[in-house]
Amino acid sequence: MSGSSNEYNLLLPLIPVLLLVPALYISGMESYDAAFLIVLAPFIAFPTIIIAGQLYNGNETWKNKMKEGGIIGLGALLVSLSVSVWILIEYLAEIHHFSGHQVTSWIEWISFEVLQSDYTMSSTRVFGVGVWIDSVTLMLLFVATFLCFLICWFSLGYMNTDPINEDRNHRFYAEFVLFAMGMFGMVLADNFLWLFIFWEIMGLCSYLLIGFYFWKESAAYAAKKAFLTTRVGDVFLMVGLLILYDIYGSLEFSVIFADPSLHGAVNSDKLFWALLMMFVGAIGKSAQFPLHVWLPDAMEGPTPVSALIHAATMVNAGLYLVARMVPFVDVGHHGVAGLEDLGLIVAYIGGITAFMAASIAFVQNDIKKVLAYSTMSQLAYIFTGLGSALWFYNHGEHHAATFVFGASMFHLFNHAMAKGMLFMASGSVIHEVHHAHDHLHEEGNEHDDFDPQDMRNMGGLASKMPVTSTAMMIGSMSIIGVPLIGGFWSKEGIIAETWLAALEHEPLMIGPAILILLTAGMTGFYMSRMWFMTFAGEPKHDVVNHVHESTPWIKEPLVILAVISALGGFLLALFGVIDYLSGEYDHLALHKPSLLEAIVYELEHAFLPKNPNLRIVGWTTILLSFIIGPIFAARVHGGKLAEGHRASPMVAWLTSLSGMFGSQDATELSQSSLSEALQNRLYFDYYYELALSKTVLPFAVFAAWFDKTVIDGIVKKVASYSVLGSFQIRRVTTGRASDYILMLTVGTLSIFALAWGVSG
Amino acid sequence: MDIQLLLPELVLTLGLAAIIIIPNLGDAKFRIPLTSIRIPVLIGGTRFPATRDPRLPNWMTLATLSAALVASTMTLLDPPSSGQVGSSLEVDQFSSLLTNLFICVLILCAVSATQRIPSDPDAPAPSEGDDEETESSKTAALYDNRRQADFHILLLTLGIGMSLMAKSTHLFMLFVCLELASLSSYVLVGFHKESKEGGEAGTKYFIVGSVASAVGIYGMSLLYLWNGDLSVDGLSQSWQSMETLDPLAAAGVGMMLVAFGFKVGAAPFHLAIPDAYSGTSSMVAGVLATASKAMGFVALLRLLVTIAMPASGPAFWFGTLAAISVVTMTWGNLAALSSENPKRVFAYSSVAHAGYMLAAVSAIGSGLADSAAQEMIVMAVLFHLCVLVLFKMGPFMVLSSIEREGSSHRVSGLNGLASRDPLLAASMFVFMLSLAGVPPFSGFLSKLLMINGIVAVSAGTGGASTILSWAFSVEPVFWLAVAVVLNSALSMFYYLRMGMVMFFEPNERGESPPCSPVVRALIVSMAILSLAFGIGPPSEWLLGLAQDAAATLLS
Repeated sequence: MSGSSNEYNLLLPLIPVLLLVPALYISGMESYDAAFLIVLAPFIAFPTIIIAGQLYNGNETWKNKMKEGGIIGLGALLVSLSVSVWILIEYLAEIHHFSGHQVTSWIEWISFEVLQSDYTMSSTRVFGVGVWIDSVTLMLLFVATFLCFLICWFSLGYMNTDPINEDRNHRFYAEFVLFAMGMFGMVLADNFLWLFIFWEIMGLCSYLLIGFYFWKESAAYAAKKAFLTTRVGDVFLMVGLLILYDIYGSLEFSVIFADPSLHGAVNSDKLFWALLMMFVGAIGKSAQFPLHVWLPDAMEGPTPVSALIHAATMVNAGLYLVARMVPFVDVGHHGVAGLEDLGLIVAYIGGITAFMAASIAFVQNDIKKVLAYSTMSQLAYIFTGLGSALWFYNHGEHHAATFVFGASMFHLFNHAMAKGMLFMASGSVIHEVHHAHDHLHEEGNEHDDFDPQDMRNMGGLASKMPVTSTAMMIGSMSIIGVPLIGGFWSKEGIIAETWLAALEHEPLMIGPAILILLTAGMTGFYMSRMWFMTFAGEPKHDVVNHVHESTPWIKEPLVILAVISALGGFLLALFGVIDYLSGEYDHLALHKPSLLEAIVYELEHAFLPKNPNLRIVGWTTILLSFIIGPIFAARVHGGKLAEGHRASPMVAWLTSLSGMFGSQDATELSQSSLSEALQNRLYFDYYYELALSKTVLPFAVFAAWFDKTVIDGIVKKVASYSVLGSFQIRRVTTGRASDYILMLTVGTLSIFALAWGVSG
Repeated sequence: MDIQLLLPELVLTLGLAAIIIIPNLGDAKFRIPLTSIRIPVLIGGTRFPATRDPRLPNWMTLATLSAALVASTMTLLDPPSSGQVGSSLEVDQFSSLLTNLFICVLILCAVSATQRIPSDPDAPAPSEGDDEETESSKTAALYDNRRQADFHILLLTLGIGMSLMAKSTHLFMLFVCLELASLSSYVLVGFHKESKEGGEAGTKYFIVGSVASAVGIYGMSLLYLWNGDLSVDGLSQSWQSMETLDPLAAAGVGMMLVAFGFKVGAAPFHLAIPDAYSGTSSMVAGVLATASKAMGFVALLRLLVTIAMPASGPAFWFGTLAAISVVTMTWGNLAALSSENPKRVFAYSSVAHAGYMLAAVSAIGSGLADSAAQEMIVMAVLFHLCVLVLFKMGPFMVLSSIEREGSSHRVSGLNGLASRDPLLAASMFVFMLSLAGVPPFSGFLSKLLMINGIVAVSAGTGGASTILSWAFSVEPVFWLAVAVVLNSALSMFYYLRMGMVMFFEPNERGESPPCSPVVRALIVSMAILSLAFGIGPPSEWLLGLAQDAAATLLS
């Protein structure tokens, strides 16, 4: 529990790991051939940690020097990170070129022959093992490896200092690296089969990690709920993949994407259903309406898990899957025409989820639940963007399509960085509040129902937690889309292009367009509300006065991600990331003659677009999200810090600013029936459970009865009669030689008779 | 005649002679009359410490068997162009594969015996106050090495008999060698004559065996009466040219079936087998379950597939053998279900395995098998016999290493073996899975090949629209495969029960007696081989050998 700086000496053994990539480079290995290491390293770390954890549990060295396996996990993730950074650098530095993508196949995993309709075995089908690298892969790979590494780092501080986790952390780290393996593998997979396999591995790990505190009934329930809800989506995904296989006879990206229309022979209805089924899988994984119910409950898991699975990586799997649908609909490149409806459905699901989640986030008091709903809402933005992109691609509007696709992927990046950091920051808050509470508790102050995650117990923490409050401010700004910061550059693009589609092409798009525009304002409100409730105003609980930001390992990831969230968006936008991600540009670089011109171009593009409609939309967004939302939040929840408390200069302006808008009592509003409905998550869970208890449960009861009485009954009867027969037959073996000879004689005579009968 | 072809048997015979003579050497001297010159005559007198050493026979046997193994492996890997030795022996791929198999089994048995009949020339005498166990172990250590010598002489005789039997191409020769081996095995079964079970088992096994042999030799006389020639080739030709089935010939073959059926453990001639296995020491039971059974199958294959195969159409013994096989496997599996003595369980399991192989053999006689299918089935049976050495001998070696002098054998003796000796328990479990035919172990591969052979024979029969009419119209031989599969399911119970007992029951017996490192290493490597021969290149290598052997048998 010591906060001494020599904790970091534990990282010394990891230094040789850093030499791996240079060694591979010198030995002449190609970076993309080393990609298997990204998956292999955590795959090896998983059993290592589990077994070593079982063997050395409780051992002092294991606990203090190895952090109960955390160092091993960190090392494995460092391998993954360094290899993926190597790949990233080589591609960005144009050492390798790929026109759109690069495929490497290593081995044929399964190959079999298929019975043709003329009863000959002719066509051989192959499932291979390989990697598929394009700009989206590179981006997601970096996001996943980088965030997994940072979150693992964060966990060293968060998990290992909590007494409740003592001697159980090896379990956490093992599941963590297995999860990381699933994510890396899914991103790198070069066919849908492997994508599905890794997808399921992630589902399993998500279940295990959410249920990490399985003795808590709520955690066990949440784990089960998450598993079963995503399972619904997974079944659909599998059906979709089977239809795909039926259409193309293969699940390899390289085969399918070479010509998704099969020279125009593909039935667009069939393909539509395949893609729709796959999209339902994506809905489940990314917690979109109507399969969103698992995500808020999943906050029962440890906070690093929330950061890892429910913000930074796994929920992005669904987005990745939808992003992979682009070649199917891209009519400019052998895509199949007539799939506009798919884009509309995706956009509507996105729009509805964005609005719904944001409105529920209004009334949440649990800091992690606010972030959970925010995640749903932001992912929904990306879905809306992808939906517009699919629509544009299918409509032949290539330019608009690539722009909104790139913007969506860019938002994925920004959101992952910001939200990963926000979850870790919330973890920092929870951890320190909890710690302070325990501290008080020891001194005899009784607080029975104290919930360290409840923002109503916080307030005024800005003076106690300078790093966390700053990081959280920047992260919230990125999520809100404050001009020039992080998510602004991507969110603006999504909203603008969706409106463009609605106004100029497809009137039906107006639904999602309006919803996400409103959501922009609501985001401004709930994110600000969260920050103000936590950090601004007077302390609402005396625990707050005992909070210190002292746990090691926690600050570094926050600082790194805060910097990336603040500046990354603008810098990457300058370097044309949107066009890079959509495959328009081959590399990231300044595409203007000078830096200044690039800045001017980007600013003009963002604030003064040529299209007057877009100008209105853009400024409305800024107004709603940056001005109206935060000001309302400040009126209700903001306030100056208590006398004698001083926030760090980075956030001081915000705390004092928040006190300037007066205060409004929202108690009446918070007791309205709408608020109650939102508190109850719009009754989704209630009606889902009602429906399940009326349909699935009776069937399950019947199936259990059938299994128990009929199936087991048959098996048991067979078993008991076998045993009965066994006793009977053993009676013949009397042990008397005369009986044996009698039997032998009987046998001989029978044979004799048989032979005689046959020959006669 | 090239005497080199019989090198393994020669080595065995020389070893046998040595093992008879050497332990008898002593310091007796002969004084030449009227002089005081004494000439050592070696026979008689007090024996030297080296020749008195109880471990000596074992070492000599191992050396002999190893030399014979090398010799026969050379023949196997480099088959002679013409292996004819005299008029009644032939060395070919088939016989040298079987010779290798027999010698391997005997080596495993001898290695286990190293531990089981050990003694130290300077062992202390039992003293007052020793508990029963110490006393019996001390007594055993004091045994004179003649007992060991007897045991190993019998082993070598068994080896010579079996190995020559595999090479016989004349029924009379075959029968003489079979009896040589059988007589040795009767004595081996009753070797622990001081215990009640041992003597009883040996006697019963001998009585029933001799009746079976008598029936067999009477059948052979009928064959001689019919043909006037007992060479396999001559009989085979006469059989092929026979227009209608001669009752003499049919009765002769049928009665020989009884003799060979007893050897393989076919119902209803198997009844003495469980008694014999449970009464004798584990490694001898292992030899009976593997080598002796293989010997029976060699004789059966010679008799049924080589001799009694008509030129076309089903053989007369098809229905008989099919019925026997189904009864055998069902009887074996059912009886094993409720047996409490692990040796009896394995005895019945070995009966069941005989049933599976008999089912495969009978499919050859169905008259539907073309030469490729016949070869496949014979290959499958031979492969099964080969890998059976690993996972049938293995459990007996495990039992042998944990059994204690005079303890009655119950399954509960295996309780908690996993905590006492995890390596042995894991190997035992591998053997069980392999016996049950669980992939990827070799037992699965061999069973799959046999079932595949049976199904291939019946393939294409029974075309009908509904399942019911298909079931009535499919060739009956198909149901043999069904019987094998159903019986395998039944057998899972008692195989897995062993695993459950070893891994989940509490340990009741304290520490195991120490198992010698050599035996332990052998057991573990047999477990690994059980896996290796089920997958990948080793299995292909062994299958290749079995296929060559099958091709030579059928040519």
